Amino acid sequence: MAPFVRSFRGNIHRFLIDVQILQYLIILIGLFNLSLCLYEDQVGKFDWKQNYVGKIKFASFDTVSAAKKIIVATEENVIAALNLKSGQILWRRVLEKGYAGQIRALGGVTDGDLVSVSGGVPAIVRAWDLATGHILHEWPIAEQNHDRIKDVKWHIKDGTLHHILPIYNSAVEVTSYDSKTGDKLKTRRVSAPFITQETECVLVAPYLACLKGDSSLAVLLLVHLFDTHSQPQSVTINTIFGAGAQGPYHLESVLGEEPIVSISADNNQRKRILLVGEVPVPIQRDIVGDATLYVVSVDNENILLETTYKNGAKIVASELLTSKSMPNISTSVTHNSLLSPTIIASVCPRQTKGVTCRHLLVSEDHSVALLQHNKLIWAREEALANIVAVEIIELPMSDRDQEIETEFDQKERDVLSMMFRRVGSQLKQAKTFLQSMLSFTPQQSNQRMDLVRDKFGLHKMIVLVTSTGKLYGIETRKGEIIWQLRVRGIRGFSKRSDAIILYVQRGSRHFPYPPQCALLAEDKQTGEGIVYTFNPITGQPLDGLVKLGYRIKQSMLLHVTTDDFLRGILIFDIRDKVHVYPKGATAIAASIAKNTYIFTADQTTGILSGYSLSYSTSQELISHKVWELLLSPKNQKITHVVSKNPIERVHSQGRVLSDRSVLYKYINPNLVTIVTEGVGHTHKNTLNLYLLDAVSGAMIFSIMHKRVRGPVHVVHSENWIVYSYFNEKSRRTEIASLELYEGKIQSNTTERQAFIFPAAIESMRETITEKGITSKHIIVALANGGILELPWMMVDPRRPINPEVREEGVIPYMPEIPIHMDAIINYNQSVFRVSGIHTSPSGLESTCLVFVHGLDLFYTRVAPSKTFDVLKEDFDYYLIVIVLAALLISSYITKKLASQKAQKQAWK
Amino acid sequence: MYKSAIFLLFIIVSTSNKCVIAENDEDTSTDLYVIEGKVFPWENGAPNGWQLMTHVMANGGEHYGFLREDGTFIISNVPSGSYIIEVVNPNCVYEPVRVEINSKGKFRARKVNLIQTSQVIQVPYPLKMRPLTPFRYFQVREQWRVTDFLFNPMVLMMILPLLLIMIIPKIMNDPETRKEMEQLNNFTNYNMPEMSEVITSFLSGGEKQKSKAVKAAKKRQ
Repeated sequence: MAPFVRSFRGNIHRFLIDVQILQYLIILIGLFNLSLCLYEDQVGKFDWKQNYVGKIKFASFDTVSAAKKIIVATEENVIAALNLKSGQILWRRVLEKGYAGQIRALGGVTDGDLVSVSGGVPAIVRAWDLATGHILHEWPIAEQNHDRIKDVKWHIKDGTLHHILPIYNSAVEVTSYDSKTGDKLKTRRVSAPFITQETECVLVAPYLACLKGDSSLAVLLLVHLFDTHSQPQSVTINTIFGAGAQGPYHLESVLGEEPIVSISADNNQRKRILLVGEVPVPIQRDIVGDATLYVVSVDNENILLETTYKNGAKIVASELLTSKSMPNISTSVTHNSLLSPTIIASVCPRQTKGVTCRHLLVSEDHSVALLQHNKLIWAREEALANIVAVEIIELPMSDRDQEIETEFDQKERDVLSMMFRRVGSQLKQAKTFLQSMLSFTPQQSNQRMDLVRDKFGLHKMIVLVTSTGKLYGIETRKGEIIWQLRVRGIRGFSKRSDAIILYVQRGSRHFPYPPQCALLAEDKQTGEGIVYTFNPITGQPLDGLVKLGYRIKQSMLLHVTTDDFLRGILIFDIRDKVHVYPKGATAIAASIAKNTYIFTADQTTGILSGYSLSYSTSQELISHKVWELLLSPKNQKITHVVSKNPIERVHSQGRVLSDRSVLYKYINPNLVTIVTEGVGHTHKNTLNLYLLDAVSGAMIFSIMHKRVRGPVHVVHSENWIVYSYFNEKSRRTEIASLELYEGKIQSNTTERQAFIFPAAIESMRETITEKGITSKHIIVALANGGILELPWMMVDPRRPINPEVREEGVIPYMPEIPIHMDAIINYNQSVFRVSGIHTSPSGLESTCLVFVHGLDLFYTRVAPSKTFDVLKEDFDYYLIVIVLAALLISSYITKKLASQKAQKQAWK
Repeated sequence: MYKSAIFLLFIIVSTSNKCVIAENDEDTSTDLYVIEGKVFPWENGAPNGWQLMTHVMANGGEHYGFLREDGTFIISNVPSGSYIIEVVNPNCVYEPVRVEINSKGKFRARKVNLIQTSQVIQVPYPLKMRPLTPFRYFQVREQWRVTDFLFNPMVLMMILPLLLIMIIPKIMNDPETRKEMEQLNNFTNYNMPEMSEVITSFLSGGEKQKSKAVKAAKKRQ
């Protein structure tokens, strides 16, 4: 029997070993199963996408095709068709980024085809199918003068593209091409010896109108472009304005079908228009200077539309020649999304009911609106295509929770008042309960009922700052715009590529104090700093616009709060003086000044400097320079200064190795990554990366890559840095990663590795969670419109090259990082021209909120370590109930059976 | 003469001859070329307007090409150099192609190999971009199946011991094994107390026991 027992025991042993192996396998599979678990039925459940086109540059109504629509071309190099009724995008074509795709002309819509001229030298002419948006033809224009492309005027008419180039002191050269095939049809030179570099010229087809001279002797010269024999006509300013007009004059062409120019005089106080023709006809009527003009034809009669704005848009229509006003076409509209609008396209067809005009209005803040008769049909917030700063903010508590909060407010400890409050709130609760029972309508609350914090903190408010100075509050569930706010007269910091800084001074956790955000920007006129504070949940301005009276060099949010939970902002001006906003926080700032340091980087001079505030007194903050470092601008240009996310938390201090020893992470919150790109002949195509301690100025690490160029994207988090660049030598995009550890001998050691990345990168950002327990992933926006969730484990610099060296949770090194299709978190919802990614922790440790902005907005949430803290949504409740019930029943039955058996045995 | 030769070559290389932007400069390297090709849709069930959803991108967005209705595209204004041509479509995967244009305007298209960059596997030019596979962005939701449940390691770990518990008493009930077990018990019980007895019994009954054990083993088989 012994061998049997032994073999049995051996079996069990082997079985246990098998189980162990199985468990290891499960863990391993768990580790390597890096896919993201998005199921097809989850589409649109946590994510949304919004498409934009950008600020409209050219627009025209397509009245030729069967389906009426609006064709637009924008500053973002987009050509799109908008639905006339709803404003939705019917089709959209995104051209090349930046200068290479800049749209210079759009035309031919009235003839039933769409021709665009875009790009630099040589420009590309593209003909598009109006209905579907396919390309029909494409050809490049042969450009002779590389540096004069900005002076070239384009005219598209009847299937011909005219390329109009003024040649100084001699003539205007008009080259005509067939807009479909690109064949050169004709080149003409119309003599215009008066044109010099200073001459202001506008195209009013078929004429070129030029204004010469600045005084009262200024002359308007008109050149017929298609008649080589004609002589330039001249109209003096006095015949237009009469005597007594003052310069400077400004010439503009009036949009519309007719060749009309407007000339403003008296410092843009008034303007007059001139009908250009064989005999130019000046209209002897003053128009206010800030009115924008458009000429539309109604029943073959030209109507001048003057748009002015004063608390609402006002469009005044009058007959062009007689100046007889037409009240049935004039309108005035007040709407939230109209701000100093300009008519960019207008059409007034005669219908059975009479003339109804449609105007496409573009506002100062880039929003687009369609006006029909007196009604605003739709509006598009195109400013959202140009976001410069993002914050994701927690929503406030619901009214009921707020009441509980006030009830247990710690400031009052009087027993009696607490008792009263208790009773009062209970009465209130009873009242609302009764109301809901008797189905009364609840009282109108000052906030929307659904805009409250949810259990898991997944429902939040995204605060967006756009380059136009318009702010938006978007809730995350559906992407609905809750509020919008305009801050006029501001611009981004010109030294920092038009960045506007957004700080959250107080979150929504400190009821009854309202949450507060502050905007730091420059004044448009003076360039001095401004601060604008507002409530990020309701969009109400708090202190309004505060002009600081000095230029801002650096700013920083204090980590300590005042008594009312407000975090002050430390502002460092260009004269190295330190200011605190609001003033009340100065004492708090002074109390921590001993440990406060400021770090600045100047891109033009290449000087990095660190300042200490330790000499501050309790009344005044005093800075003095502690260190300075020069990265000579002759050799290199600072392109990126990346610090860690200030709200980041590192959960694990070390990394356990296979021999059970621990490698401690080098976590220095003051570590800053500086990336410079080489300039000049010798240093061209080099890339330098420096890791600098911003407090002491100590250089922790530096590395130089040769034969490498941008675009560079850097992610800096915990003890690692991941950056991408283009390798010129091997002609591929690479991702390099660095990791810092506390060393045994020296202060730190660095691990690094580079990987091949098989796609072009537009932007990168790491995920962030509340406590930092969840593993980190890197969100990568790809040039092909996908957003990839790349586990940091894939770019771990400790991935062993020798496959025999095994470490727990480390994948052996492979040169290429594969792009898994199911790690693309926006599936087929491609987003283009991504300019930034913002990540924010949610209330759940496992989940991180991701907001991607660019031409499109995309929001989703990711769970890098899977949702370990909530039940999966497909969790089978029935199964677990059935299993539990079955176990319970079976245990009872077996109990019964066992007792029966015992009874039987006892009887034996 | 030299110029015209280049020009001829250029015409031979590009099938359509409408792409010359050669300027009258002396430096030939400033010439701009046109990359041509055709994108094929996914055969079964390419949605209407797939051309609109698709565009062609050179070097991650430096140059774009748009599709005509028949799927052909051109990328114009391309200086000589090396370009990775990718088809951007949210529904299908296309293999990228590297197109190299030398300073004389000679075109060569080859497969992209990012690891061994010098390896050349030529592909025909003008480009023919065919979809490899449709994108699979989603995981398939697991459905509950009995076999999945039964072969779950946890369930296996529970069921196997259960089976063993059920089977072992059955084996024990078998009279012969019970006898053996008793003998085994006896062996352990009686042989423990005294060392001398253990040795004597071992010496005397060693043979017997051995054979029995063999028998038992045989029976089990």
